Amino acid sequence: MIPTSPNDDDFPWWLVAVVAIGLYLFWQVLTVAEYSRVLSTLRRGIWVTIYVTLVSYTLACLLGLGLALAQISRSLILRQISRFYIEVVRGIPIIVLLLYVAFVLAPAMVVAWNWVLQSLGFDPIRTRDFSLLWRAVIALTIAYASFLAEVFRAGLQSVDEGQIEAAESLGLSRWQRFRFIVFPQALRTILPPLGNDFVAMVKDSSLVSVLGVTDVTQLGKVTAAGNFRYFETYNVVALVYLPITITLSLALRRFEKRMRER
Amino acid sequence: MRILTTLAAAAFATAAIADGHLPDLDGREIVVVTENAYPPLQFIDGNGDAVGWEYDAMAEIAERLNATIVYENISWDAMIPAVSEGQFDLGMTGITIREDRAEVVDFSDKYMTSEMVMMVRGDENRFADAASFAADDDLLMAAQPGTTPFYVGVYDVLDGDEANPRIKLMETFGATVQALRAGDVDLVLTDGTAGNGYVDASDGGLKIIGEKLGTEDFGFFYPRGSDLVAPINAAIADMWSDGTIEALITKWFLDYKLGQ
Repeated sequence: MIPTSPNDDDFPWWLVAVVAIGLYLFWQVLTVAEYSRVLSTLRRGIWVTIYVTLVSYTLACLLGLGLALAQISRSLILRQISRFYIEVVRGIPIIVLLLYVAFVLAPAMVVAWNWVLQSLGFDPIRTRDFSLLWRAVIALTIAYASFLAEVFRAGLQSVDEGQIEAAESLGLSRWQRFRFIVFPQALRTILPPLGNDFVAMVKDSSLVSVLGVTDVTQLGKVTAAGNFRYFETYNVVALVYLPITITLSLALRRFEKRMRER
Repeated sequence: MRILTTLAAAAFATAAIADGHLPDLDGREIVVVTENAYPPLQFIDGNGDAVGWEYDAMAEIAERLNATIVYENISWDAMIPAVSEGQFDLGMTGITIREDRAEVVDFSDKYMTSEMVMMVRGDENRFADAASFAADDDLLMAAQPGTTPFYVGVYDVLDGDEANPRIKLMETFGATVQALRAGDVDLVLTDGTAGNGYVDASDGGLKIIGEKLGTEDFGFFYPRGSDLVAPINAAIADMWSDGTIEALITKWFLDYKLGQ
Protein backbone atom coordinates (compact mmCIF):
# COMPACT_ATOMS: atom_id res chain seq x y z
CA MET A 1 0.00 0.00 0.00
CA ILE A 2 2.83 2.40 0.91
CA PRO A 3 5.21 2.70 -2.05
CA THR A 4 8.74 1.45 -1.46
CA SER A 5 11.52 3.96 -1.84
CA PRO A 6 14.54 3.07 -4.03
CA ASN A 7 17.05 3.18 -1.18
CA ASP A 8 15.29 0.51 0.87
CA ASP A 9 17.64 -2.22 -0.30
CA ASP A 10 20.82 -0.14 0.00
CA PHE A 11 23.45 -1.58 2.24
CA PRO A 12 23.43 0.75 5.31
CA TRP A 13 26.92 2.18 4.91
CA TRP A 14 25.82 5.21 6.91
CA LEU A 15 25.18 2.93 9.86
CA VAL A 16 28.62 1.34 9.53
CA ALA A 17 30.10 4.85 9.56
CA VAL A 18 28.02 5.90 12.57
CA VAL A 19 28.92 2.77 14.52
CA ALA A 20 32.62 3.09 13.68
CA ILE A 21 32.76 6.76 14.65
CA GLY A 22 30.63 6.07 17.71
CA LEU A 23 32.90 3.25 18.88
CA TYR A 24 35.98 5.41 18.36
CA LEU A 25 34.45 8.29 20.34
CA PHE A 26 33.31 5.98 23.13
CA TRP A 27 36.79 4.54 23.31
CA GLN A 28 38.09 8.11 23.64
CA VAL A 29 35.54 8.88 26.32
CA LEU A 30 36.50 5.82 28.31
CA THR A 31 40.26 6.39 28.07
CA VAL A 32 40.60 10.18 28.34
CA ALA A 33 40.16 11.20 31.97
CA GLU A 34 38.31 14.48 31.29
CA TYR A 35 35.76 12.78 29.06
CA SER A 36 35.17 9.81 31.33
CA ARG A 37 34.56 12.10 34.32
CA VAL A 38 31.96 13.95 32.27
CA LEU A 39 30.30 10.70 31.26
CA SER A 40 30.10 9.45 34.83
CA THR A 41 28.28 12.65 35.83
CA LEU A 42 25.95 12.61 32.81
CA ARG A 43 25.01 9.00 33.45
CA ARG A 44 22.87 10.13 36.36
CA GLY A 45 20.74 12.16 33.98
CA ILE A 46 19.98 9.34 31.53
CA TRP A 47 17.13 7.95 33.61
CA VAL A 48 15.62 11.40 34.00
CA THR A 49 15.76 11.88 30.22
CA ILE A 50 14.17 8.47 29.60
CA TYR A 51 11.57 8.97 32.31
CA VAL A 52 10.56 12.43 31.09
CA THR A 53 10.39 11.15 27.49
CA LEU A 54 8.32 8.05 28.23
CA VAL A 55 5.85 9.67 30.62
CA SER A 56 5.35 12.80 28.49
CA TYR A 57 4.98 10.76 25.33
CA THR A 58 2.46 8.34 26.81
CA LEU A 59 0.35 11.16 28.23
CA ALA A 60 0.64 13.12 24.98
CA CYS A 61 -0.57 10.06 23.00
CA LEU A 62 -3.65 9.75 25.20
CA LEU A 63 -4.46 13.45 25.08
CA GLY A 64 -3.66 13.57 21.36
CA LEU A 65 -5.96 10.64 20.61
CA GLY A 66 -8.72 12.32 22.60
CA LEU A 67 -8.24 15.53 20.62
CA ALA A 68 -8.24 13.62 17.31
CA LEU A 69 -11.47 11.84 18.23
CA ALA A 70 -12.96 15.22 19.13
CA GLN A 71 -11.86 16.43 15.69
CA ILE A 72 -13.91 13.79 13.90
CA SER A 73 -16.80 13.80 16.36
CA ARG A 74 -20.32 14.83 15.38
CA SER A 75 -20.38 17.60 17.98
CA LEU A 76 -19.54 21.03 16.62
CA ILE A 77 -18.46 22.21 20.09
CA LEU A 78 -15.98 19.34 20.56
CA ARG A 79 -14.59 19.84 17.07
CA GLN A 80 -14.09 23.56 17.66
CA ILE A 81 -12.55 23.15 21.11
CA SER A 82 -10.12 20.59 19.78
CA ARG A 83 -9.16 22.76 16.80
CA PHE A 84 -8.70 25.75 19.10
CA TYR A 85 -6.34 23.75 21.32
CA ILE A 86 -4.34 22.29 18.46
CA GLU A 87 -3.87 25.56 16.57
CA VAL A 88 -2.97 27.62 19.63
CA VAL A 89 -0.60 25.13 21.23
CA ARG A 90 1.06 24.17 17.96
CA GLY A 91 1.72 27.85 17.32
CA ILE A 92 3.67 28.46 20.54
CA PRO A 93 7.34 27.45 20.89
CA ILE A 94 7.76 24.61 23.40
CA ILE A 95 10.23 26.59 25.48
CA VAL A 96 7.62 29.33 25.98
CA LEU A 97 4.97 26.76 26.91
CA LEU A 98 7.41 25.28 29.38
CA LEU A 99 7.86 28.59 31.20
CA TYR A 100 4.10 29.29 31.16
CA VAL A 101 3.35 25.89 32.64
CA ALA A 102 6.08 26.14 35.26
CA PHE A 103 5.31 29.62 36.53
CA VAL A 104 1.69 30.34 35.63
CA LEU A 105 -0.23 27.11 35.15
CA ALA A 106 1.45 25.08 37.91
CA PRO A 107 0.91 27.68 40.68
CA ALA A 108 -2.68 28.10 39.45
CA MET A 109 -3.18 24.32 39.61
CA VAL A 110 -1.87 24.31 43.16
CA VAL A 111 -4.31 27.07 44.14
CA ALA A 112 -7.20 25.14 42.57
CA TRP A 113 -6.10 21.90 44.16
CA ASN A 114 -5.83 23.57 47.59
CA TRP A 115 -9.31 24.99 47.17
CA VAL A 116 -10.60 21.44 46.72
CA LEU A 117 -8.43 20.04 49.52
CA GLN A 118 -9.43 22.67 52.03
CA SER A 119 -13.12 22.33 51.34
CA LEU A 120 -12.60 18.63 52.15
CA GLY A 121 -10.73 19.58 55.33
CA PHE A 122 -7.18 18.56 54.29
CA ASP A 123 -3.97 20.58 54.72
CA PRO A 124 -3.05 22.64 51.66
CA ILE A 125 0.04 21.80 49.62
CA ARG A 126 2.73 24.32 48.68
CA THR A 127 3.70 25.31 45.15
CA ARG A 128 7.14 23.82 45.72
CA ASP A 129 5.58 20.41 46.35
CA PHE A 130 4.73 20.38 42.64
CA SER A 131 8.12 19.30 41.32
CA LEU A 132 9.75 21.00 38.37
CA LEU A 133 10.12 17.62 36.70
CA TRP A 134 6.35 17.15 36.63
CA ARG A 135 5.78 20.70 35.45
CA ALA A 136 8.16 19.94 32.59
CA VAL A 137 6.33 16.68 31.85
CA ILE A 138 3.00 18.51 31.73
CA ALA A 139 4.40 21.15 29.39
CA LEU A 140 5.84 18.55 27.00
CA THR A 141 2.56 16.63 27.14
CA ILE A 142 0.54 19.72 26.26
CA ALA A 143 2.89 20.58 23.40
CA TYR A 144 3.20 17.12 21.88
CA ALA A 145 -0.52 16.33 22.23
CA SER A 146 -1.18 18.95 19.57
CA PHE A 147 1.29 17.36 17.10
CA LEU A 148 0.11 13.85 17.85
CA ALA A 149 -3.55 14.85 17.54
CA GLU A 150 -2.89 15.81 13.93
CA VAL A 151 -1.10 12.50 13.31
CA PHE A 152 -4.04 10.55 14.75
CA ARG A 153 -6.61 12.63 12.87
CA ALA A 154 -4.85 12.20 9.54
CA GLY A 155 -4.63 8.46 10.15
CA LEU A 156 -8.26 8.08 11.14
CA GLN A 157 -9.41 10.10 8.14
CA SER A 158 -7.24 8.08 5.78
CA VAL A 159 -9.50 5.05 6.22
CA ASP A 160 -11.70 4.64 3.15
CA GLU A 161 -15.32 5.78 3.56
CA GLY A 162 -16.46 2.56 1.91
CA GLN A 163 -15.04 0.55 4.81
CA ILE A 164 -17.14 2.46 7.28
CA GLU A 165 -20.26 2.18 5.13
CA ALA A 166 -19.70 -1.56 4.80
CA ALA A 167 -19.35 -1.89 8.55
CA GLU A 168 -22.51 0.13 9.06
CA SER A 169 -24.40 -2.12 6.69
CA LEU A 170 -23.20 -5.13 8.67
CA GLY A 171 -24.87 -3.59 11.71
CA LEU A 172 -21.73 -2.77 13.73
CA SER A 173 -22.18 -0.11 16.40
CA ARG A 174 -20.21 3.14 16.33
CA TRP A 175 -17.73 1.84 18.91
CA GLN A 176 -17.35 -1.51 17.11
CA ARG A 177 -16.74 0.31 13.80
CA PHE A 178 -13.98 2.34 15.45
CA ARG A 179 -12.45 -0.57 17.34
CA PHE A 180 -12.50 -3.26 14.63
CA ILE A 181 -12.55 -1.41 11.32
CA VAL A 182 -11.22 2.14 11.49
CA PHE A 183 -8.54 1.97 14.18
CA PRO A 184 -6.62 -1.11 12.95
CA GLN A 185 -6.40 0.36 9.45
CA ALA A 186 -5.59 3.85 10.68
CA LEU A 187 -2.77 2.44 12.79
CA ARG A 188 -0.74 1.59 9.68
CA THR A 189 -0.76 5.25 8.65
CA ILE A 190 -0.33 6.53 12.19
CA LEU A 191 2.59 4.46 13.46
CA PRO A 192 5.47 5.77 11.33
CA PRO A 193 4.91 9.47 12.12
CA LEU A 194 4.14 8.52 15.71
CA GLY A 195 7.56 6.91 15.92
CA ASN A 196 9.22 9.96 14.41
CA ASP A 197 7.64 12.11 17.07
CA PHE A 198 8.90 9.74 19.73
CA VAL A 199 12.47 10.23 18.54
CA ALA A 200 11.81 13.98 18.45
CA MET A 201 10.53 13.78 22.03
CA VAL A 202 13.78 12.19 23.20
CA LYS A 203 15.60 15.25 21.91
CA ASP A 204 13.01 17.81 23.01
CA SER A 205 13.08 16.37 26.52
CA SER A 206 16.35 18.31 26.78
CA LEU A 207 14.24 21.48 27.00
CA VAL A 208 13.49 20.60 30.62
CA SER A 209 17.01 21.81 31.39
CA VAL A 210 15.60 25.34 31.06
CA LEU A 211 13.87 24.71 34.39
CA GLY A 212 16.94 23.05 35.89
CA VAL A 213 15.54 19.51 35.84
CA THR A 214 18.69 17.39 36.00
CA ASP A 215 18.43 15.49 32.74
CA VAL A 216 21.45 14.74 30.55
CA THR A 217 21.49 18.23 29.04
CA GLN A 218 21.22 20.08 32.35
CA LEU A 219 23.99 17.94 33.83
CA GLY A 220 26.04 18.80 30.74
CA LYS A 221 25.37 22.48 31.39
CA VAL A 222 26.49 22.37 35.02
CA THR A 223 29.41 20.06 34.24
CA ALA A 224 30.68 22.49 31.60
CA ALA A 225 30.32 25.34 34.09
CA GLY A 226 32.49 23.48 36.61
CA ASN A 227 35.18 21.90 34.43
CA PHE A 228 35.63 24.83 32.01
CA ARG A 229 35.63 22.38 29.09
CA TYR A 230 32.53 23.46 27.27
CA PHE A 231 33.05 21.77 23.93
CA GLU A 232 34.32 18.48 25.33
CA THR A 233 31.35 18.26 27.67
CA TYR A 234 28.77 18.80 24.95
CA ASN A 235 30.54 16.19 22.79
CA VAL A 236 29.75 13.68 25.49
CA VAL A 237 26.17 14.96 25.77
CA ALA A 238 25.68 14.31 22.04
CA LEU A 239 27.27 10.91 22.40
CA VAL A 240 24.79 9.98 25.13
CA TYR A 241 21.77 10.94 23.02
CA LEU A 242 22.87 9.38 19.74
CA PRO A 243 22.69 5.68 20.68
CA ILE A 244 19.17 6.23 22.05
CA THR A 245 17.86 8.13 19.02
CA ILE A 246 19.59 6.01 16.36
CA THR A 247 18.46 2.74 17.94
CA LEU A 248 14.90 4.06 17.99
CA SER A 249 15.10 5.17 14.34
CA LEU A 250 16.42 1.77 13.28
CA ALA A 251 13.69 -0.05 15.18
CA LEU A 252 11.18 2.24 13.54
CA ARG A 253 12.48 1.50 10.02
CA ARG A 254 12.34 -2.24 10.61
CA PHE A 255 8.84 -1.89 11.88
CA GLU A 256 7.74 0.15 8.86
CA LYS A 257 9.26 -2.46 6.54
CA ARG A 258 7.34 -5.23 8.24
CA MET A 259 4.14 -3.25 7.97
CA ARG A 260 4.66 -2.83 4.22
CA GLU A 261 5.34 -6.52 3.73
CA ARG A 262 2.14 -7.55 5.43
CA MET B 1 45.57 24.44 60.08
CA ARG B 2 42.28 24.28 58.24
CA ILE B 3 41.04 21.57 60.57
CA LEU B 4 41.87 23.85 63.46
CA THR B 5 39.91 26.69 61.88
CA THR B 6 36.94 24.42 61.26
CA LEU B 7 37.09 23.05 64.79
CA ALA B 8 37.35 26.55 66.19
CA ALA B 9 34.42 27.65 64.06
CA ALA B 10 32.35 24.66 65.14
CA ALA B 11 33.14 25.31 68.80
CA PHE B 12 32.26 28.93 68.28
CA ALA B 13 28.96 27.98 66.62
CA THR B 14 27.93 25.82 69.53
CA ALA B 15 28.90 28.57 71.90
CA ALA B 16 26.92 31.05 69.84
CA ILE B 17 23.65 29.19 70.22
CA ALA B 18 24.40 28.44 73.84
CA ASP B 19 24.96 32.07 74.79
CA GLY B 20 21.88 33.08 72.83
CA HIS B 21 23.42 35.82 70.72
CA LEU B 22 22.16 34.06 67.57
CA PRO B 23 18.53 33.11 66.99
CA ASP B 24 17.66 29.42 67.38
CA LEU B 25 15.51 28.24 64.49
CA ASP B 26 14.68 25.05 66.32
CA GLY B 27 15.57 22.62 63.54
CA ARG B 28 13.44 24.45 61.00
CA GLU B 29 13.67 23.22 57.40
CA ILE B 30 15.02 25.76 54.91
CA VAL B 31 14.60 24.90 51.23
CA VAL B 32 17.60 26.32 49.36
CA VAL B 33 17.64 26.42 45.58
CA THR B 34 20.74 26.60 43.40
CA GLU B 35 21.91 25.62 39.92
CA ASN B 36 25.45 24.34 40.62
CA ALA B 37 26.74 26.31 37.66
CA TYR B 38 28.99 28.91 39.32
CA PRO B 39 32.34 27.57 40.47
CA PRO B 40 33.73 27.81 43.06
CA LEU B 41 30.53 28.99 44.79
CA GLN B 42 28.46 25.98 43.76
CA PHE B 43 29.37 23.46 41.10
CA ILE B 44 29.65 19.78 40.27
CA ASP B 45 33.13 18.48 41.01
CA GLY B 46 35.00 15.72 39.15
CA ASN B 47 33.18 13.06 41.15
CA GLY B 48 29.78 14.45 40.22
CA ASP B 49 29.15 15.87 43.70
CA ALA B 50 27.63 19.29 44.32
CA VAL B 51 30.18 21.29 46.35
CA GLY B 52 31.50 24.81 46.80
CA TRP B 53 31.94 27.88 48.95
CA GLU B 54 28.23 28.51 49.31
CA TYR B 55 27.49 24.90 50.34
CA ASP B 56 30.07 25.18 53.10
CA ALA B 57 28.80 28.59 54.17
CA MET B 58 25.20 27.38 54.19
CA ALA B 59 26.12 24.34 56.29
CA GLU B 60 27.86 26.68 58.73
CA ILE B 61 24.82 28.98 58.90
CA ALA B 62 22.51 26.01 59.44
CA GLU B 63 24.65 24.79 62.30
CA ARG B 64 24.83 28.19 63.99
CA LEU B 65 21.09 28.76 63.69
CA ASN B 66 20.05 25.15 64.33
CA ALA B 67 18.31 24.78 60.97
CA THR B 68 18.04 21.92 58.45
CA ILE B 69 18.89 22.63 54.83
CA VAL B 70 17.15 20.90 51.93
CA TYR B 71 18.65 21.55 48.49
CA GLU B 72 16.68 21.83 45.26
CA ASN B 73 17.94 22.59 41.75
CA ILE B 74 16.59 25.07 39.27
CA SER B 75 18.17 26.89 36.36
CA TRP B 76 19.43 30.45 36.73
CA ASP B 77 16.76 31.81 34.35
CA ALA B 78 13.95 30.42 36.47
CA MET B 79 15.45 31.07 39.89
CA ILE B 80 14.43 34.65 40.68
CA PRO B 81 10.78 34.16 39.63
CA ALA B 82 10.55 30.90 41.58
CA VAL B 83 12.03 32.37 44.77
CA SER B 84 10.05 35.60 44.54
CA GLU B 85 6.89 33.51 44.24
CA GLY B 86 7.83 31.76 47.46
CA GLN B 87 8.44 28.33 45.94
CA PHE B 88 11.75 28.16 47.77
CA ASP B 89 12.97 29.78 50.97
CA LEU B 90 16.35 30.95 49.75
CA GLY B 91 18.25 31.31 46.48
CA MET B 92 22.00 30.70 46.51
CA THR B 93 23.71 31.49 43.23
CA GLY B 94 26.42 34.10 43.72
CA ILE B 95 23.95 36.81 42.86
CA THR B 96 24.82 40.51 42.95
CA ILE B 97 22.76 42.57 45.40
CA ARG B 98 20.99 45.07 43.16
CA GLU B 99 18.23 47.59 43.79
CA ASP B 100 16.12 46.54 40.81
CA ARG B 101 16.19 42.94 41.97
CA ALA B 102 15.32 44.03 45.51
CA GLU B 103 11.93 45.04 44.16
CA VAL B 104 11.02 41.37 43.70
CA VAL B 105 13.16 39.59 46.30
CA ASP B 106 14.82 40.40 49.64
CA PHE B 107 18.60 40.14 49.94
CA SER B 108 20.83 39.06 52.78
CA ASP B 109 23.79 41.20 53.80
CA LYS B 110 26.77 40.62 51.53
CA TYR B 111 28.84 37.53 52.16
CA MET B 112 31.43 38.17 49.49
CA THR B 113 32.74 40.91 47.24
CA SER B 114 33.57 39.89 43.73
CA GLU B 115 35.82 41.64 41.26
CA MET B 116 35.63 41.07 37.55
CA VAL B 117 38.63 40.44 35.32
CA MET B 118 38.88 40.74 31.54
CA MET B 119 39.37 37.44 29.71
CA VAL B 120 40.55 37.54 26.09
CA ARG B 121 42.05 35.19 23.51
CA GLY B 122 45.70 34.30 24.10
CA ASP B 123 46.86 36.23 21.02
CA GLU B 124 44.85 39.41 21.71
CA ASN B 125 46.92 42.58 21.21
CA ARG B 126 44.39 45.20 20.07
CA PHE B 127 43.47 46.32 23.57
CA ALA B 128 44.95 46.03 27.03
CA ASP B 129 42.31 47.45 29.36
CA ALA B 130 38.65 48.48 29.61
CA ALA B 131 39.20 51.94 28.15
CA SER B 132 40.98 50.75 25.03
CA PHE B 133 38.33 48.05 24.55
CA ALA B 134 35.51 50.60 24.82
CA ALA B 135 37.27 53.01 22.42
CA ASP B 136 37.29 50.57 19.47
CA ASP B 137 33.78 50.06 18.07
CA ASP B 138 34.82 46.89 16.23
CA LEU B 139 35.44 45.02 19.47
CA LEU B 140 32.62 42.92 20.91
CA MET B 141 31.99 41.27 24.25
CA ALA B 142 29.63 38.50 25.36
CA ALA B 143 27.67 38.02 28.58
CA GLN B 144 24.79 36.08 30.08
CA PRO B 145 21.94 38.62 30.43
CA GLY B 146 21.08 39.74 33.95
CA THR B 147 24.34 38.54 35.48
CA THR B 148 27.14 40.44 37.19
CA PRO B 149 29.50 40.31 34.17
CA PHE B 150 26.68 41.74 32.07
CA TYR B 151 26.13 44.73 34.38
CA VAL B 152 29.82 45.38 34.85
CA GLY B 153 30.24 45.16 31.08
CA VAL B 154 27.45 47.64 30.43
CA TYR B 155 28.18 50.17 33.19
CA ASP B 156 31.92 49.90 33.84
CA VAL B 157 33.29 48.97 30.42
CA LEU B 158 30.80 50.23 27.83
CA ASP B 159 28.55 53.28 27.84
CA GLY B 160 25.79 52.28 30.29
CA ASP B 161 23.32 51.36 27.53
CA GLU B 162 21.96 47.88 28.30
CA ALA B 163 20.91 47.54 24.65
CA ASN B 164 24.39 48.31 23.33
CA PRO B 165 24.88 46.03 20.31
CA ARG B 166 28.52 45.48 21.23
CA ILE B 167 27.46 43.20 24.07
CA LYS B 168 26.27 39.84 22.73
CA LEU B 169 23.86 37.96 24.98
CA MET B 170 24.13 34.20 25.45
CA GLU B 171 22.31 31.53 27.37
CA THR B 172 25.14 30.26 29.58
CA PHE B 173 28.47 31.58 30.76
CA GLY B 174 30.21 28.66 29.07
CA ALA B 175 28.70 29.71 25.74
CA THR B 176 30.19 33.19 26.09
CA VAL B 177 33.63 31.68 26.64
CA GLN B 178 33.17 29.42 23.61
CA ALA B 179 32.15 32.45 21.53
CA LEU B 180 35.32 34.18 22.71
CA ARG B 181 37.51 31.24 21.71
CA ALA B 182 35.75 30.94 18.35
CA GLY B 183 36.39 34.63 17.61
CA ASP B 184 32.74 35.73 17.64
CA VAL B 185 33.50 38.17 20.42
CA ASP B 186 36.72 39.60 21.82
CA LEU B 187 36.09 39.92 25.55
CA VAL B 188 34.33 38.10 28.35
CA LEU B 189 34.18 39.37 31.92
CA THR B 190 34.41 36.86 34.70
CA ASP B 191 35.34 36.76 38.33
CA GLY B 192 38.99 35.92 38.85
CA THR B 193 38.51 32.34 40.01
CA ALA B 194 36.41 31.12 37.11
CA GLY B 195 38.64 33.13 34.78
CA ASN B 196 41.76 31.36 36.00
CA GLY B 197 39.97 28.04 35.65
CA TYR B 198 39.19 28.70 31.99
CA VAL B 199 42.68 30.07 31.27
CA ASP B 200 44.30 26.98 32.82
CA ALA B 201 42.07 24.64 30.82
CA SER B 202 42.71 26.45 27.52
CA ASP B 203 46.36 25.59 26.80
CA GLY B 204 47.24 29.20 26.04
CA GLY B 205 44.03 29.89 24.13
CA LEU B 206 42.89 32.42 26.73
CA LYS B 207 44.50 35.00 29.01
CA ILE B 208 43.51 37.62 31.54
CA ILE B 209 44.45 41.26 30.99
CA GLY B 210 44.06 44.67 32.59
CA GLU B 211 42.97 45.83 36.00
CA LYS B 212 40.16 44.34 38.05
CA LEU B 213 36.80 45.96 37.34
CA GLY B 214 33.63 46.89 39.23
CA THR B 215 33.24 45.33 42.64
CA GLU B 216 29.99 43.47 43.19
CA ASP B 217 28.52 42.35 46.50
CA PHE B 218 27.01 38.87 46.58
CA GLY B 219 24.09 37.89 48.80
CA PHE B 220 21.53 35.18 49.31
CA PHE B 221 17.99 36.09 48.33
CA TYR B 222 14.56 35.31 49.71
CA PRO B 223 10.89 35.87 48.89
CA ARG B 224 9.85 39.40 49.90
CA GLY B 225 9.20 39.73 53.63
CA SER B 226 10.93 36.44 54.56
CA ASP B 227 11.50 35.98 58.30
CA LEU B 228 14.83 34.32 57.50
CA VAL B 229 16.54 37.59 56.56
CA ALA B 230 17.35 38.68 60.11
CA PRO B 231 18.60 35.35 61.56
CA ILE B 232 20.77 34.58 58.51
CA ASN B 233 22.18 38.13 58.53
CA ALA B 234 23.10 37.59 62.17
CA ALA B 235 24.88 34.34 61.26
CA ILE B 236 26.70 36.04 58.35
CA ALA B 237 27.86 38.85 60.66
CA ASP B 238 29.07 36.21 63.08
CA MET B 239 30.99 34.42 60.31
CA TRP B 240 32.61 37.69 59.15
CA SER B 241 33.77 38.52 62.64
CA ASP B 242 35.21 35.13 63.60
CA GLY B 243 37.07 34.65 60.32
CA THR B 244 34.96 31.77 58.97
CA ILE B 245 34.20 33.62 55.74
CA GLU B 246 37.89 34.37 55.18
CA ALA B 247 38.78 30.73 55.86
CA LEU B 248 36.21 29.53 53.33
CA ILE B 249 37.49 32.00 50.75
CA THR B 250 41.01 30.66 51.26
CA LYS B 251 39.75 27.10 50.95
CA TRP B 252 37.74 27.53 47.74
CA PHE B 253 39.39 30.46 45.97
CA LEU B 254 43.06 29.80 46.72
CA ASP B 255 43.60 26.17 47.77
CA TYR B 256 41.00 24.34 45.71
CA LYS B 257 42.06 23.37 42.19
CA LEU B 258 39.11 23.78 39.86
CA GLY B 259 38.49 21.76 36.73
CA GLN B 260 40.59 18.77 37.74
